[in-house]
Amino acid sequence: MASHTSKAFLSLGRLNIAGLGLNNSASRVTYAAALSTNSPKGDKGFPQRNGRGPVRKPRREPGEPRTEKMPLDQDWTAVYPAAAPFRPSSVPLPVRMGYPVKGGVPPEKKGNLELIKIPNFLHLTPAAIKKHCEALKPFCTEWPSALDSDAKCDELFPIKVESTDFVSAGQSVRNPSARIVHLKVKLSSFNLDKHAQRKMLKLVGERYNKDTDTLTIRADSCPLRQQNQDYAMYLLTVLYHESWKTEAWEDEKTVADMEEYSWEDSPSQKNMLNVLVRMKVAGEGKGEVREQLLGIKEVQEYKDSVTRLKNEGESESTMLQYKEAVKKVLDL
Amino acid sequence: MATPGRHVGHYIQRNSRFLLNNLDQLWVNRTFGWTSALRQHAAETITESTDTIVIPRKKTWSKEAVLEALAATVSRDPTAYSYQFQDDPYLTPRTAPELRLYTLAQESGRSAAKYFVNSNPKFFTKDFAEPHIPCLMPETVSLRLEEVSEEALKERINLRKVKAAVDMYDQILQAGVSVSMETTHDLLDLICLYCDKDPVEDEGPETEDVEGAEDAKRNKAGARRASNILKSIWRENNNAERLFNLLPERDTQCYSALIRGMVKHGAYTKAFSAYTDMLNNRLTADVHIFNALISAAPEVRDKYNERWDVIIELLNQMSQQKVQPNLLTFNSVLKALRRCGFLAKTQSIHTLNEMKALGIAPSLASFDHILAVFFKGASRQANSDIFQEVMSELAGTSFTCRDPDDTHFFSNAMRICVEIKDLELAYKVQSLLEVGENWRLLRDPYRSYFYGSFFSLLCMMEHVDVVMKWYRQLVPSVYYPNTQGFRDLMQALDTDSRLDLLPVIWKDIRSLGHDNKSDLVEELLNLMARDTHSPEVQESYAACALDVKSVFAGDRGNKSLEWSPSSLSNITSLLLRANKTQQAWEMLQLFKSKNRVPATGLLEEFLSACHSEGSTNRAVALVQLSAAFCLSATPTLAKRTLSEFDLTEEQRAILLDLESAGESLE
Repeated sequence: MASHTSKAFLSLGRLNIAGLGLNNSASRVTYAAALSTNSPKGDKGFPQRNGRGPVRKPRREPGEPRTEKMPLDQDWTAVYPAAAPFRPSSVPLPVRMGYPVKGGVPPEKKGNLELIKIPNFLHLTPAAIKKHCEALKPFCTEWPSALDSDAKCDELFPIKVESTDFVSAGQSVRNPSARIVHLKVKLSSFNLDKHAQRKMLKLVGERYNKDTDTLTIRADSCPLRQQNQDYAMYLLTVLYHESWKTEAWEDEKTVADMEEYSWEDSPSQKNMLNVLVRMKVAGEGKGEVREQLLGIKEVQEYKDSVTRLKNEGESESTMLQYKEAVKKVLDL
Repeated sequence: MATPGRHVGHYIQRNSRFLLNNLDQLWVNRTFGWTSALRQHAAETITESTDTIVIPRKKTWSKEAVLEALAATVSRDPTAYSYQFQDDPYLTPRTAPELRLYTLAQESGRSAAKYFVNSNPKFFTKDFAEPHIPCLMPETVSLRLEEVSEEALKERINLRKVKAAVDMYDQILQAGVSVSMETTHDLLDLICLYCDKDPVEDEGPETEDVEGAEDAKRNKAGARRASNILKSIWRENNNAERLFNLLPERDTQCYSALIRGMVKHGAYTKAFSAYTDMLNNRLTADVHIFNALISAAPEVRDKYNERWDVIIELLNQMSQQKVQPNLLTFNSVLKALRRCGFLAKTQSIHTLNEMKALGIAPSLASFDHILAVFFKGASRQANSDIFQEVMSELAGTSFTCRDPDDTHFFSNAMRICVEIKDLELAYKVQSLLEVGENWRLLRDPYRSYFYGSFFSLLCMMEHVDVVMKWYRQLVPSVYYPNTQGFRDLMQALDTDSRLDLLPVIWKDIRSLGHDNKSDLVEELLNLMARDTHSPEVQESYAACALDVKSVFAGDRGNKSLEWSPSSLSNITSLLLRANKTQQAWEMLQLFKSKNRVPATGLLEEFLSACHSEGSTNRAVALVQLSAAFCLSATPTLAKRTLSEFDLTEEQRAILLDLESAGESLE
């Protein structure tokens, strides 16, 4: 019967929740109350020994942890040979972890879930790593003795291919992210003239890092790593050859497509010349040819400062240079 | 230990950077349009170094090579239990019966799972594992083909269903179809191997892999169990013989199957007659037939020379028929020699030489037979140099199982070492066991016999420090000692007077579950109580004694031990020596409740202790107690009490009473 009433309460609670917004908490209280009164009465501990049934076996005591038996000079690499979760009875360290009990210390390691959750590197102590390195040495070949500096490696082998291998414990050893290949190369190692350089930069766009002068090509469209590597090399070759070619439509390059600012035929040049012409006209009344104006040193300085300002952006030195140039040109 | 069910993923990223050679076109006509001082500098040094760089060839290795190399760096952890168990103090098996129970439980679980997978293959079609793991997929165990055909016969042979195969064969013959020679050979092999009975379905898990593949050559089910061998007797005119006689033409392989089956299942004379049959039909035998016949030779003759003559005869015929002997031939010769008495010693050496001459490396079974030959009977001491030679030849080699009898080598060798009491050889045998894969060749899955005997030898002959070192290394990670082992250990401690280690041993005895063995406990108590030691040792002894007392009292609910007078006395005296008089007093009460009589010396000791403490009441009560037991020492005790203590009048009166009563009794 009790269970029936609880069910009635529960259904009531649910209906209420559906209808009213403010009374939600109240109906939930009844829900909770209904549950609490009907909690099962049986206790999970040992049944009472009435002497009626057979006497239960006494509880098995845990043995002593094997940290007691570990000698101080034991071989730790044998205790944790591979990645394994933290076992408090096998690690003879008195570690504590977790939020401290009020007025106390963090809980001890026995039964501590926090220590088990986190990854541990007990299997990779320096001694273990030494042993592993010694064991792996036969698999390695010698480094060529002539390549003894980074700079040499960079010049002789300018293309660097990066890929990542993944190891995980699970049903499958395959990982799709292992197919991704990054190809890095410095553009300075290529033979490019000005046009080719500019075209290359336009072609690769974001893949070029100006600060380090590296072009990074990421290839992940093929399912296998070898395929991605081949594709990246192919891309590089194609980019190089394409940037050397000049297409017919490249003549239609407008000012908006230019990578850097050039002063000739720019509005700044026109304005400056207009100002100077008017100054000269106002001053002496003779018509001077524009080209002669261009040859004047102040005008050249002005040209340099404006170019620098536009190309490099605003900074203390550029603004200063511009100010000086303007002052000189306008005889201030 | 992480079970396979846990989904904890470990990601280890290993970035591999590798340098590619530059393409040649890039180096043509370098122009300096883009300023880089470094580049200019680099251009000059390139030309002189390009020709000297040598890129070594990449090495290749198998898929598991790296893992094996890393695994070789791991040694054994002496405090850890077997890797199959959860590494938790609550869950590891602490006693030998528990170890058996847990391993058997795991095995039974595994076989139950395999049974379910095989009987419901339709639920296990999806393959999650990448790369594919064939042993996890369901196997076909039930017959699919029902019609009378050779394919159905082959299927039954593959699934090892002997009776069904024979029925199918008969049906095929009745239908008039002839069966191919190959299938007939297979069928005959099957019948002869299983002696015309279906193989037992459930293999005992003791014979199954407890620690992985124990015997690489373990072929068919049930072959190892002695009970099966006894049961399988070659009956007269069973299916094998019947089918054999029905065959239109019989070739060597048919005879081979028949003869080997006969030898395996005990029909030795029949085997020899079948062999003569074969020779009469002018067929040449093959090496398996000869092996079988040689091993059957001791059964068909009684006298040693005759047996040896049969073997020689067979070997001659073998060379006449130009059949090359193999390892099993020589091993069967050696095995047969074990039963040839006095001839054995010389002939076995000859056999070994023959083996070497033919270039066949002897296996462990050969050495096992040789050791058995030389160490049989009473004359053992003289021959230990044979053993030395054998061990020096075997040292450091890792063996694979090439003969089913290889697995007996280690146990027998250790047994012989113990009998001849040679410690060095024992060490050599033990170190040979640790080389490479040799642990697989130890037949005993719980390693108790081998290490038990090794340990007892150590206890007998080695210094106690070495014994304790080995004890810590072996127990309980490798084997669980039994009562005899602990007795030997205590003996060793006694001999070298390291009895202060006894409480530690008691703890181990307790955790290993031997604390219900009364003789072991008694001996321990005797050793502890025999002499007086320094105070700290006495303290530890007292603590140990209290522990023992709790075991006797049986508060663990298992069958408890019965108190005996000596154990009670020992515990009491130990407690007294550590000045735990109150507990000692309780012990005396126990004497009364369990109806045991205390020893005289105990009471005297108690009296002295009371005297040093100055508790007169207790002294009087003590004398009363001894009177209650009607001990003959009562008068002396009473006298002592009267003289040594300051007593009240009533106490004096009681004591005088008792004294007179005691004297009158005498």
